[in-house]
Amino acid sequence: MMDIERERGITIKSQAVRVNYTSDDGDTYEFNLIDTPGHVDFTYEVSRSLAACEGAVLVVDATQGVEAQTVANAMMAMNANLEIIPLINKIDLPASDPERAKEQIEDGLAIPADDAVLCSAKTGEGVHDLLEAIVYNIPAPQGDIDAPLRALIFDSYFDAYRGVVALIRVVDGSVKKGDTIYMMAAGTEALVEEVGARKPAEIALPDLSAGDVGYLVTGLKDVAQVKVGDTLTLSSRRAIEPLPGYRDVKPMVFTGLYPIEGDQYEPLKEALEKLALNDPALVWEPETSHALGFGFRVGFLGLLHMEVVEERLEREFGLNLLATAPSVEYHVLKKNGEMISLHSPQEMPDPSEIEHIEEPYLRVKVLVPPDYVGPVMDLTNSRRGTFVNMNYLSSTTVEVIWEMPLSEMIMDYFDRLKSSTKGYASLDYEMAGYRVSKLVKLDILLAGKPVDALSFIVHADNAYNRGSILARKLKEIIPRQMFEVPIQAAVGGRVLARTTVKAKRKDVLAKCYGGDITRKRKLLEKQKEGKKRMKAIGSVEVPQEAFMAILKVDE
Amino acid sequence: MPHDPYKALYLHIPFCVKRCGYCDFATRAIDRDDPRIDEYVEQLVVDIRRFCKQGELSEIETVYIGGGTPSHIGLNRLSSLLYALSLSVDLTRDGLEFTMEANPESLTERMVLDIWAMGVNRLSLGVQSFDDEVLAILGRAHDAARAKEAIETARLRFDSVSIDLMCGVPGQSASSLEESVKTAVELGIPHVSMYPLTIEPHTAFDRAVLSGEMQEPDDDVEAEHMQIAAHILEEAGYSRYEVASYALPGYESKHNSSYWTGVPYLGIGQNATSMTQNSDRRMRVMNNEVIDDLDRRQMEAEDLMLGMRMSIGVSDERVAAAAEYLPEVYDVLNDLENEGFLVHDLSRWRPTTQGWLCGNDLYGRILDLAP
Repeated sequence: MMDIERERGITIKSQAVRVNYTSDDGDTYEFNLIDTPGHVDFTYEVSRSLAACEGAVLVVDATQGVEAQTVANAMMAMNANLEIIPLINKIDLPASDPERAKEQIEDGLAIPADDAVLCSAKTGEGVHDLLEAIVYNIPAPQGDIDAPLRALIFDSYFDAYRGVVALIRVVDGSVKKGDTIYMMAAGTEALVEEVGARKPAEIALPDLSAGDVGYLVTGLKDVAQVKVGDTLTLSSRRAIEPLPGYRDVKPMVFTGLYPIEGDQYEPLKEALEKLALNDPALVWEPETSHALGFGFRVGFLGLLHMEVVEERLEREFGLNLLATAPSVEYHVLKKNGEMISLHSPQEMPDPSEIEHIEEPYLRVKVLVPPDYVGPVMDLTNSRRGTFVNMNYLSSTTVEVIWEMPLSEMIMDYFDRLKSSTKGYASLDYEMAGYRVSKLVKLDILLAGKPVDALSFIVHADNAYNRGSILARKLKEIIPRQMFEVPIQAAVGGRVLARTTVKAKRKDVLAKCYGGDITRKRKLLEKQKEGKKRMKAIGSVEVPQEAFMAILKVDE
Repeated sequence: MPHDPYKALYLHIPFCVKRCGYCDFATRAIDRDDPRIDEYVEQLVVDIRRFCKQGELSEIETVYIGGGTPSHIGLNRLSSLLYALSLSVDLTRDGLEFTMEANPESLTERMVLDIWAMGVNRLSLGVQSFDDEVLAILGRAHDAARAKEAIETARLRFDSVSIDLMCGVPGQSASSLEESVKTAVELGIPHVSMYPLTIEPHTAFDRAVLSGEMQEPDDDVEAEHMQIAAHILEEAGYSRYEVASYALPGYESKHNSSYWTGVPYLGIGQNATSMTQNSDRRMRVMNNEVIDDLDRRQMEAEDLMLGMRMSIGVSDERVAAAAEYLPEVYDVLNDLENEGFLVHDLSRWRPTTQGWLCGNDLYGRILDLAP
């Protein structure tokens, strides 16, 4: 488990384990279990894990009930024709409401919940029931042990001593040490150096055959040669049809990552390469910013993925990084008929060359108690969302469906959604294609000079509003310097909003009665925080927080 | 939690005849006949009686009715409020200070006579300037003549009158400010609060500054204005007892000083803040929400910080007491003295003019003793 997973209580990487269980019927069964992440950013991890399984245990938190991600993951499991066992967990907590969870599972997911297992993973209550339910409800793997080998690679990682290790589910045939395997999509071959199972420690086995889940050591040096979703077969006896794979993972959110100290560029590059060995979803290309120097434009699956990667880069590799505000991939049709993809506002062509700009839209599903539909509507409307429809899943849960631009989603939408619904709302989304939007690039000028790393793309109707808020936020965040720093928000050279960080000579002697004291404390804390991590842009010291300020556009 | 008795009581009246361009206070512009004001005042009365019954008002030494504009709600409502207060707080206590804020446009002779009769003994008038142009820029509902009339009316009963003045207003010249301050001196106003204009987020002025319609107040101009005011007032015998407060001898505001000296206060009404504490813990609460929760170390640091708003600063004994919890305090104070923000003499640590002008540095460094 990664530190981040433990601290945040989330699963990021799938884990596979094999256990033997002696059932009440006296027989011993072999379970191959795969734990999957739940967050929408890691949907691809779920989909590929499900493809390797016969059944799924759908875990619902008895205190939270069915969440939007529960629905999404249940749908994936149904589409994969898996047997589903509903499990209601955390029943030991005083706030748990298993009956409500059951009702939601039936109404919202159309899964019979009469036999849902009630369980507390903490106390162990109900765990026996779950294991019995797996024995009785989930079919044993089908598959032809005599057919040519077909095994699905559902995860792979790089091990410095052994090369690339693949986690596989064998569907047909068998594989053993010494076999030469062939990756059907990649077209590469490798010698099998070891096979085995994780229990959870890795135990080498003579072979893996139809129905088994295990690991396979290849000795290959490049993880890209062992692609997740690919089908393994034997070189000497190739299967004809590969297993259904899954689509390539596409990054949705892009951000600039820059080392705060210039000499950390190479270490950052090496760190990204190392992380990518185990994270095929991580993509990057070099980027140069006038303001920030040399860095990388990095693509992520979503904001959580971004946060996790940034945190790992800092923690595991000791880097001190500055991240720019995330942006999405825009498509720009130029007047000359050329269509270009932008991963960064800096790549925006001159407005005179642009025919139109398209931005990615999402179909967003929010599950929320009926009382909070109003606040969700207000929030989503303010984010250029278009209402699609609304269904009552149960008396306590409404499903509201929207279409909204991805760029609005990444602006703190999830946190705002949570706070405007007292934490009750849950969210799921899927891509809904590109649409033409009236977009402009908003530039921020510090001391009269545009700072490329602070510019962002915004809907023309929101430019003034967002520009004003950002100018004001920057004024709060950028500490006073020895000279005055004018801040301007401009579109195409037209200044929409301006403000000034005054020279550090005098402070405002604001009144300070009663509640003002609290405000004063907060202000001083904020200023102190801002001084911690600074980057010199020209002659202006700018704290890291400034680059993320645009994400917090609601006040 | 078990807490030390409240010594100061604040009542908030969140209504005004109009909202000024710079205002971000908890107030709204509604008609004085609006029934919502009645409801609000009724609730205040209920709360006052309730706190009284709970014994929270038995040691109150100062009362302050602020706003908003308390005079905007009219004499009838003020009367019921004052009556409830007279039943709940010992208004005859020796030395009790009872301030009410009023704006020139809504202060009447009748109001002056009656509120004085019901126990108010200090009147704070929101004058801001004696220059009509500046008043118009600020968006005030009165002009200079009306302000002077109101002062005269207040004088019918009140000896202790305070006025607020503003400086650093875009369009306000140094000579305009000088005139206003001199007028205050000539009128013999015994207490003057002097504030530079601050552009707060979400105000009309904030929008005007962002869109370029209004010049942002300049720090140097504000500092210069503060120095002009300090010079005139000190020359005329006022002491600058707090960074923004001037008083003739004996006219310092006890209520305001309690905010800077760690005295527990109870705030009643919308957005009114209460400070509740005992020897281990200090909380500030607004609208039933805890907005600050400090441990003893943080309390000590905060008291030192707030003490530095006042010209008398902090005594050696006070610092020694704080040092029990904040052993680094002497290092920090010595550094601040070396940098010209503080002086240490006559057994007290006091802020210098430089310290006051760069208050955020000074206050921030002291608060950092216990983040």
